[in-house]
Amino acid sequence: MTAKKGISLALLAVGVVVLLLIPRLGVSDSLLNLLILMFIYTMLATSWNILGGYTGQINLGHAAFFGLGTLAARMLYTAGRPLPLALLVAGIVPAVFSMLIGVPAFRLRLRGDYFTIGTLALSQILYITVGNVLPKITYLPMADIQNYQILPRYYIILALTLFTIGAAYALVKSRLGLGLVAVRENEDAAESLGVNAFAHKLLALAVSAFLGGLAGGAYAYYQASYYFNYTFSPPWSLEPVNMAFIGGVGTIHGPIIGAVFFVLLKEWLVLKVGEYHLIIFGVLFILVVLFLPGGLVEAWERIRRVIVRRTRAKVTVSPACARDNGLPGN
Amino acid sequence: MSTTMVAQSLASGILVGALYGLAAVGLSLVFGVTKILNVSHGELLMLGGYTSFWLFTLMGVDPFAGIPLSMFALVIIGLIVYQLLFSRLIKLPTEDKIRTSLLVGFGLGLVLQNVALRLWTADNRGITPSYAGAALTILGVRLPYVRVASLVIAFVFLVALQLFLQKTYTGKAIRATAQDWEAATLMGINVYRVYLLSFVLGTALAGAAGTLVAVGYSVEPVMGLHWTLKALIVLVMGGIGSIAGTLVGGLILGVTESAAAVWISGNYRHVVGLVIFILVLLVRPQGLFGAKEG
Amino acid sequence: MRTEKVMAIMTVLLVGALLVGCGPATPTPTQAPPTVAPTKAPPTAEPTKAPPPAPEYIEFGASIPLTGKYGALGAMVKPGYEIAVADINAQGGVYVAEYGKKIPIRLTIYDDESDPTKAVSKLETIYAEQNPVIFLGGAASDMHAATAAVAEKYKVPYLGIAFALYSIHQQGYRYLFSPFPKSPAQARDVFEILNASIPEGERPTKVAIFQETTDWGIELGNLWKENAPKYGYEVVVYETYAPRTEDMSAMILKAKEAGAETLLTVPAPPDGITMVKQMAELGWTPKFTLMIRAPENVTWGETMGKNGDYVTIFPGWHHAENFPGVAELNAKYQAQFGRPADLLTGPAYACVQIAAAAIEKAGTLDREAIRDAIAAINMMTVVGPVTFNADGTGNVLNPLVQWQNGKQELVWPPEHASAPLAYPAVPFDQR
Repeated sequence: MTAKKGISLALLAVGVVVLLLIPRLGVSDSLLNLLILMFIYTMLATSWNILGGYTGQINLGHAAFFGLGTLAARMLYTAGRPLPLALLVAGIVPAVFSMLIGVPAFRLRLRGDYFTIGTLALSQILYITVGNVLPKITYLPMADIQNYQILPRYYIILALTLFTIGAAYALVKSRLGLGLVAVRENEDAAESLGVNAFAHKLLALAVSAFLGGLAGGAYAYYQASYYFNYTFSPPWSLEPVNMAFIGGVGTIHGPIIGAVFFVLLKEWLVLKVGEYHLIIFGVLFILVVLFLPGGLVEAWERIRRVIVRRTRAKVTVSPACARDNGLPGN
Repeated sequence: MSTTMVAQSLASGILVGALYGLAAVGLSLVFGVTKILNVSHGELLMLGGYTSFWLFTLMGVDPFAGIPLSMFALVIIGLIVYQLLFSRLIKLPTEDKIRTSLLVGFGLGLVLQNVALRLWTADNRGITPSYAGAALTILGVRLPYVRVASLVIAFVFLVALQLFLQKTYTGKAIRATAQDWEAATLMGINVYRVYLLSFVLGTALAGAAGTLVAVGYSVEPVMGLHWTLKALIVLVMGGIGSIAGTLVGGLILGVTESAAAVWISGNYRHVVGLVIFILVLLVRPQGLFGAKEG
Repeated sequence: MRTEKVMAIMTVLLVGALLVGCGPATPTPTQAPPTVAPTKAPPTAEPTKAPPPAPEYIEFGASIPLTGKYGALGAMVKPGYEIAVADINAQGGVYVAEYGKKIPIRLTIYDDESDPTKAVSKLETIYAEQNPVIFLGGAASDMHAATAAVAEKYKVPYLGIAFALYSIHQQGYRYLFSPFPKSPAQARDVFEILNASIPEGERPTKVAIFQETTDWGIELGNLWKENAPKYGYEVVVYETYAPRTEDMSAMILKAKEAGAETLLTVPAPPDGITMVKQMAELGWTPKFTLMIRAPENVTWGETMGKNGDYVTIFPGWHHAENFPGVAELNAKYQAQFGRPADLLTGPAYACVQIAAAAIEKAGTLDREAIRDAIAAINMMTVVGPVTFNADGTGNVLNPLVQWQNGKQELVWPPEHASAPLAYPAVPFDQR
């Protein structure tokens, strides 16, 4: 176990170093843009996963948090306020907003499917309302566009992404995280063991909203121009869910892998099959959901297990191997 | 603001609302019985609309006469979709089933949208029969024949469905399965067949609703989410699986939206519906007409 | 304990990333030139030398919505670009003085799924991989607003059509050029055309405006309201609605009760269809309807039947315009699609014509020189004579098209018209 953890940590460190150095290798801006897109999606999927993966509350309105984050950050940033303040507020606004829905929903122990549909409706309300109140395009200040600097954006968004992953990891590995999983598995049983399900769910929601808003802040800082309500639109709700599931819901690395895979696959399909890419993407997505419910993480686990079993079988049949075989197949 | 105008808006709201009800009832039936939450319902509705569009433009089939045909087309599509995809989820525990079906439905919606784009281009298509625009005038309120016909059709379908569920053996089997599939199995009901039947019935109803949308409005590849959302609102307001509740939920949504357009602003008609929906969720989650669940 | 360790690592990484990130931010960027000097430099800097080896192609890049909500618009734009490029390449390409020869154009097109973020990333990709000298835009104002910023970032001349939103041009974009009529022209011309074609006393002076709550809807709605009294028109109803509305009866009834005779509106296709259907059902036939956008789709006639007639549009172009090259374009489009060129195809074709002419005039593939050549262009295209204002808007013809008997007829200006303006509209129930 410890050896495995060591390897993961080493891999993480190598990955981060590579990401830090990439811009120094004279790569094109388009690669950096692609990476930034992956970072933002990673933040979105990771933040969604805290609530959706660890407490089992499927939120189909994550765009509400993302959108509020972009709105707050963009307003402050274009008004000339410092970026760190804009980013901080981008997280706080959706976190506060999430309490407005979380308190009644969790207090009443709203059924999971109702929570899901309700969040979808809520994001739709914000989408339409923002469209009505601010029906216009927001631009970065012209000086920013004409001297657009991708490097600071790259590094700041990378930092935000690492922070998001770190925060998610810290939360999940803490006592609170164990409480979350307990609530997901069996709310009544968890309560009888003294876990306050209400407080746990609320906390997960707040952290999820804060980090989702932070992703919004990153987007607002990155994107030169977009309609104010665009970041509240349904794709921003649905895509993080996709990525988390493709990668592996309820794990830390799942959403990251999912986001990277999602962006790369889409990019590749656009180049390869042009106008048909969304059909193929849809089919692939369905296949993953149906046949790999644990996502790519699980697929990798299965492959690894097969390899381990093969190599060990050659030596001797160890008790560990027998235990591996006993794991559920699907 | 004249009284005629208020009356007219009320009438328009009712006419729209009946269509919302019909659009939602298929989703409600499927969800109530199988616990599959098919978010590609709007896309299936779209396919119904395109089917009648093709029948009308290629073969000159009147859209109302063509409803059975578009329902039949959707039965076939429903069969394929169910057998290929959703039947695999049937044995999952309820929570997992809802969650997974949501994702499958999302993927399916994406595929159907883009298939429609290839087949019919991104243009909005609609059906305007020669009698479109003709209307019955009662006390200054104009009731367009096309929309009244939609109301009647929606009503007939819902009543027929209700009778089917209440009176026939198969209908009773469906209700029994919706209440408790394990008990239903013990009573000798083949729940798998019931699931299949309910799903296909749901897609057929989407086909009928799609035809009425194509006549009253228009169809396009990206319309799905909009109608799925409307259907979800109506479904929750009416109470899952309640046929009468779905109709009333649809009417309430239609009338509130129209009232909002008259008294608040056309900008917020959708918002008002959504806000009521969330209030219902919080105050009466079993729906306005749903029975309290255990 | 473990948590703290992880947090510590994260903090170190975070600080590290911020430090590295802030490093290059302060010194001047590598490629940012002093803003004034180089614009004048290239023409004089190259004295008579043997021409350098010419590139194989002149690279053009475009990101067009082929799927998603603007797919119908993109479908009209794409063939315009493609046919124009094919026509120029059939002549051997564009003559570039710097290399002393004709070089063919290579056009790279990506689908942006009607999503501004994806459009930006597609143009970034094209920029990195093809190093284009020209960007060609997609369609719709939000897409252009997003992608024009990329052009600005990389200082690549950008030609875009299929958007009338004027406010984009007020952002100070230097590289954005649009040979397409804008809101101010649309808001003025409608009254001028009405007054020129209809004798006083018969004019539809009571105006209803149905304003969609989008930036373009608001911009145009306000301009119409402002202009109406100057031309002797009175706005009796001004109603707003959100996109995708199932029931427009409240608005229509208000207009009917107020006795409005003219309808001015810019609905998206689904709303335009619903609007006209419900106008017919509620028995309100304005004598004159200007409905920009929704009826531009070629399928409008088929979808609406007789109820779609009499509606007019400002589409930016029409295949009946008798400018040089239009007949050839129509013939090629006919061969491919079985109908004369669509409304947006001509302006798209013109973009490529303008780009090619500017490159030829600049005599170099230097983007700054090409930008200046576009800004100074004065040429004949398939959309007529084109010049540009300082804000990048084009001075172009703004034709009025009307649906008559299920066909789009050009009704204004008279010297190009394929049919006279049909006025007043026959009531829906008598058609």
